[in-house]
Amino acid sequence: MVTEEEIEHVSKLMRIDVDDHKEYVEKVNMMISYFDLLDSAGVNSEEITMPEISISNLRKDEYIPFDDKLIEKLNHYKGTYVRAPKMSS
Amino acid sequence: MNLKISALEYVQEVKTGNISAEDFVAKTIERIQSIDDKLHAFLSINDEAVDQARNIDKKIKSGEKVGDCFGMPISIKDNICIKDSKTTCASKMLENFIAPYDATVITKLKQQDAIFVGKVNMDEFAMGLTTEFSAYGPSKNPWNLEHVPGGSSGGSAVSVSAFECVASLGSDTGGSVRNPASFCSTVGYKPTYGLISRYGLISYANTIEQIGPLTRTVKDTAFMLNLISGIDSNDNTTVDNKNEDYLSGIESGIEGKKIGIIKEMIGDGIDPVVLSATKDAIAKLEGLGAICEEISIDMVKYSVAAYYTISATEAGSNLARYDNIRYGYDFPLEGYEFNSYISKARRNFGPEVTRRMIIGGFVPSAGHAGKYFLKALKVKSKLTREINDAFKKFDFLISPTVPILPFKLGEKIDDPISLFLVDINTITANLTGKPAISIPFSNSNGLPIGIQLMADSMNDKSLLQAAHALEQTVNLPEVPI
Amino acid sequence: MTMIGLEIHCQLTNLNSKLFCSCKANYREFKINENICPVCMGLPGSLPRLNQEAVKKATIIAMALNCTTPEKIAFFRKNYFYPDSPKNFQITQLNMYGDTSVGGTGSVMIGDKKIRITRIQLEEDPGRLIYEGSSSKNLITLVDYNRAGTPLVEIVTEPDFETPKEVRDFLNILSDILANLGVADPSLEGAMRADANVSIEGGKKVEIKNIGSFHDLEKAVHFEITRQDSLHSRDIEIIQETRHWDDKRKITVSSRSKEEDLDYRYFLEGDIPWITIDHDIQKKLQAEMPESISSKKERYVSKYNIPEQVAEVLSSDKYYSDLFEEAHTESNAKEVANIITTELMGLVDTREKREVSKFTSTHLRDLADAIQSGKVSRNSSKNALHEILKSGKELSVVILELDLGNVSDISELSKIITLVISEESQAVEQTKSNPQTINYLVGKVMQKTKGKADPGLTLDLLKKQIGV
Repeated sequence: MVTEEEIEHVSKLMRIDVDDHKEYVEKVNMMISYFDLLDSAGVNSEEITMPEISISNLRKDEYIPFDDKLIEKLNHYKGTYVRAPKMSS
Repeated sequence: MNLKISALEYVQEVKTGNISAEDFVAKTIERIQSIDDKLHAFLSINDEAVDQARNIDKKIKSGEKVGDCFGMPISIKDNICIKDSKTTCASKMLENFIAPYDATVITKLKQQDAIFVGKVNMDEFAMGLTTEFSAYGPSKNPWNLEHVPGGSSGGSAVSVSAFECVASLGSDTGGSVRNPASFCSTVGYKPTYGLISRYGLISYANTIEQIGPLTRTVKDTAFMLNLISGIDSNDNTTVDNKNEDYLSGIESGIEGKKIGIIKEMIGDGIDPVVLSATKDAIAKLEGLGAICEEISIDMVKYSVAAYYTISATEAGSNLARYDNIRYGYDFPLEGYEFNSYISKARRNFGPEVTRRMIIGGFVPSAGHAGKYFLKALKVKSKLTREINDAFKKFDFLISPTVPILPFKLGEKIDDPISLFLVDINTITANLTGKPAISIPFSNSNGLPIGIQLMADSMNDKSLLQAAHALEQTVNLPEVPI
Repeated sequence: MTMIGLEIHCQLTNLNSKLFCSCKANYREFKINENICPVCMGLPGSLPRLNQEAVKKATIIAMALNCTTPEKIAFFRKNYFYPDSPKNFQITQLNMYGDTSVGGTGSVMIGDKKIRITRIQLEEDPGRLIYEGSSSKNLITLVDYNRAGTPLVEIVTEPDFETPKEVRDFLNILSDILANLGVADPSLEGAMRADANVSIEGGKKVEIKNIGSFHDLEKAVHFEITRQDSLHSRDIEIIQETRHWDDKRKITVSSRSKEEDLDYRYFLEGDIPWITIDHDIQKKLQAEMPESISSKKERYVSKYNIPEQVAEVLSSDKYYSDLFEEAHTESNAKEVANIITTELMGLVDTREKREVSKFTSTHLRDLADAIQSGKVSRNSSKNALHEILKSGKELSVVILELDLGNVSDISELSKIITLVISEESQAVEQTKSNPQTINYLVGKVMQKTKGKADPGLTLDLLKKQIGV
């Protein structure tokens, strides 16, 4: 069971203001409870496999400038800095 | 002008001079303008499409080399970047985002003289199964306007099915190309993971998604695959398909091929009409010389839970960049502190995306990761092993694409688990990286039913051969719009 | 018992491109936000493209620090929100599924003491923040992303240091090693940064972040030890926390860190497959590594008979050892080493001075040969060096222009000696009874020849003429 406090905690962690925590508790609980199904899959000893590539196939170390003046196509830029809200402390 | 032709037929007609690209594209735009009000497949339309087509006609007349697409009108799901075009992912968060670069698939299609007739609707950030979670309103199923077209590539399927374009590119994370293809009676393809570059595809769950074509025929899909697949230095997860030609030999048939019927995908919850259509397809395949046998893939039962755990985790991370600082929508930052600004700005995500982000923060978090996220990864590994074992015995695996008929708009929107289970047959291909295709097979009271075939990794060519063989046995009604 | 550990970040400034894209690795010459692209800006749809050379350089750093180097490495996402991090996650390394960082356990000697390395990882640098408005009430944060994506190697040590001096010694040795490997220029501003953790008497560990320079690091560690000692002596508990270095007040201050933010939700970076660096490739990298500092030093001492302290200076500074390697021959090695460490060193002790210096290895070889053959006296060679540093002219030209040629012609020198003897009759008498005082007369000859007389020859001729 996921509590309202946990929803609050996670929504802070994910930086999303949520109006009504109660509403989310119900829906999220439904989904998380469904995930409990994973416990009966019997996969504890399973190895996690991953794709691999050799170091020789990686990108060559070359400087190639990006053509366009990218900064001019983005928001909130002042002169040439990107502006962000002030940081606390 | 007949818009109801396949991509290959279009190319033939233009090559031989029977039709001009300009005329066809103009008629296509007309069609969009006349019916898209009802369907809402398109989020934006390319004003210069007809001019671009005219230029291609010029090239053809002057004997210049023309790309393989000959001005073919194609729609693009709005999570694929086209330079200088709005790319919104059907979200308010990216309302004003104009991509400053082309996705690799777009670059390739541009080189082949394709024309992008517009960007099409989707579930917000590709999270959904019905296109009802689009921030700009749902799309409608052209077979029955009260029913969902499927998702998340709903707009792609609708536009192809309703002849608003000749082909479309969508993206498939848990079935998002095959599911709407099945609901709208088009071909929908998810390639082997890594076959098509994801550079320029706005990420939702990057370890399991692929761009995939939606077309009218299987040959058209092979044609598209030839143009957009291949290793890409911009995407470290792409694999080398050595310039495979997917069209050549596509009529080889399936004599002697072994096809496994996945028990768990025709079990509880399947609509009897869909089950009977599946049995029909199996009979047809046997009639063509294939040998069909049931097989059990135990992990399928856990695949939906594993999929939503993994995709939510990846989405939570992939969508973290949307803090409205560098791009996004209009929301001035004066007077705010950083964390409260971005928390407020991110309220512009829709409710489904927000729910997935909360889950995506929860399941990999300290204290819960072992129970959920790591376990889901292990299910993924075990499922892959089981599927690999299956492919030692079988050449292909078959199931209905979706276990139920296209349902009504609004029917499942409040029932998340029931909605999740719509994907139960398609998720396996994403979790295991295997290629899978949905072909339109039959129709029940005007509602389409698709059949899905899967093959082993890198066997896309033979998969298309099998799909083509099955497709030839099918005779479908015309879309009523 | 004081225990200090370090976390050092070193930019791979000698690479051409960033870790995941082809923008320039060394961002310092660019105007604000002109060294960016969709990838390092984390634009929607962008994907990382790992730099092959960065992986190689990180691997040889690990080898140089005697670390284990696994045959498979992986990258992970560290998820947190900050304006300098365009994706709001950092791609970094972690040992989550066994040893998956580019370097495992290793060690570095500082004198006789061994400092253990915990691990070495490859990761990306974030952008840079500038605060507009006064520091306590800033209104807006300005962000420059030129640095975002610059390749960083993070070196983590065990808490084996016991004093701030040991920390300083280690950092000097580490800088020398990294410069010697040719992977970075540690003297570039911001190229090397470090955080420290301090605990005393086996107590709680306190982390210190935001330390601007190595000089500040020594001060910060010293302050923190003092702070903890003071608390301990009054039986006050030392809290396990993160503190930041306040450069203005020269103290460490407790950071207000929210507990939520410490959950980074680490998981594998799905856009980068595992990278295999197989045994053969590793062998090749090892073989192609530049000669280590200790090996150079040993070679200088044993092969060229260069005194140990001179060899120490020569070998530990790449700039000097490069000059030495290029300039020396079998016969003049000792002289070349001597010139570098006695005369040249004071003139090129900063990066700026080295950048403008026109003194090359050819000049060095010519100078050493000239001194050895007597063409130029040691005194005059100093003037020659100064001139060449500025103008870059050939030695022979400088000798002529500044009239530095040695007076070694015997007849000419004899004439001058005769003159000096006649002028300094008292000193000559003294020398007959006390031979040591002949140096005064040598000095007088040097005066008359403006330092160009060959001292050895002068002494011989003087002795002959006086008859001692």
